[in-house]
Amino acid sequence: MSEPERAWRLRTDPEAVERDLSRLVLTLVELIRQLVERQCVRRMDQGDLTDEQLEAVGLTLMRLEEAMTDLCARFDLSPSDLNLDLGPLGTLLPKD
Amino acid sequence: MTGEHGVYLYAVTRGAPRLCLDDLTGVASRPVRVIEEGELTAYVSDVPLTEFGEEPLRRSMEDLAWLEETARAHHRIVEAVARSAPTAPVRLVTVYHDDAQVRELLRERHSDFLTVLARVADRREWGVKAYAVQVPAQPAAPEPETGPGTSPGRAYLQRRRTALRGREEMWRTAAAQAEKLHDALTGIAAASTRHRVQDPKLSGREEPMVLNGAYLVDSAREREFAALARDMTDLEVEITGPWAPYSFTALPGEAAHDDSVAR
Repeated sequence: MSEPERAWRLRTDPEAVERDLSRLVLTLVELIRQLVERQCVRRMDQGDLTDEQLEAVGLTLMRLEEAMTDLCARFDLSPSDLNLDLGPLGTLLPKD
Repeated sequence: MTGEHGVYLYAVTRGAPRLCLDDLTGVASRPVRVIEEGELTAYVSDVPLTEFGEEPLRRSMEDLAWLEETARAHHRIVEAVARSAPTAPVRLVTVYHDDAQVRELLRERHSDFLTVLARVADRREWGVKAYAVQVPAQPAAPEPETGPGTSPGRAYLQRRRTALRGREEMWRTAAAQAEKLHDALTGIAAASTRHRVQDPKLSGREEPMVLNGAYLVDSAREREFAALARDMTDLEVEITGPWAPYSFTALPGEAAHDDSVAR
């Protein structure tokens, strides 16, 4: 390239960094939460969880979802902010 | 001569040109001329190699504005030619060294071109895209619930199950309908092919695309074709065309044009 490379600029003000980092962490947590949720639904259908186990895991997932909602609100993020666009692969999470 | 200009090929037809070339402006605002060889006519423009040479082209292709302008010009010429005679469109930015090289192509693939041109005579290409319509998740058959008051965790999982199933069900139904629609349209068409379905960003629609088909249809059956495409399913259907037969003119031994991005 004959053209001089344009300098990369990072926005380093603390607030932006914190928000971006939270967004990334929350995205990963949400992905795992949804995967676990699907797995639980599958196992519920197969009937290989006891009633106590089902209740415990269901409650945990429900609370996690509530916690996610709270955290998103705190960092001013909407569910679609957590959905990384993977280009040709579509989005990370299914669109509800 | 070859040092400065290349020969940009748009399309090939059979027989002498039947349209006025003076009205046409090709890529890079160049005039369009023809090269005749045997029974075939090639539509070409002389283009500067500073823009269309191998190396500059690599850079030009990344320039979206340039690409769009070039694609539009290419398409314009192909459409004009296709209105005048059965036409085999050539892939975007196909550039030869000189006239001799184009003549050589026409000579070597003479019978292949004639076969392809005979196939598309009196037929036009139509595109059919179908989208899954979002049905609101139906309340599933009442689950044998143990009462949400006593086991909220279990109730939560059951709600999730219903939501997930609803979505899967919607997909399955839409995919099956797309399959049926494609089969029925193929029955009317002289030839058909399915392109990759497009991402919502490309299609500009939120609903997922479940069919992206191209169909080569006899002019006499176009009405019947359109009516079937419109009315057969509950899918949201988008019909585009008529197009020059881009999807049906690959020569034997040549990969089909993947133009799913262009359209």
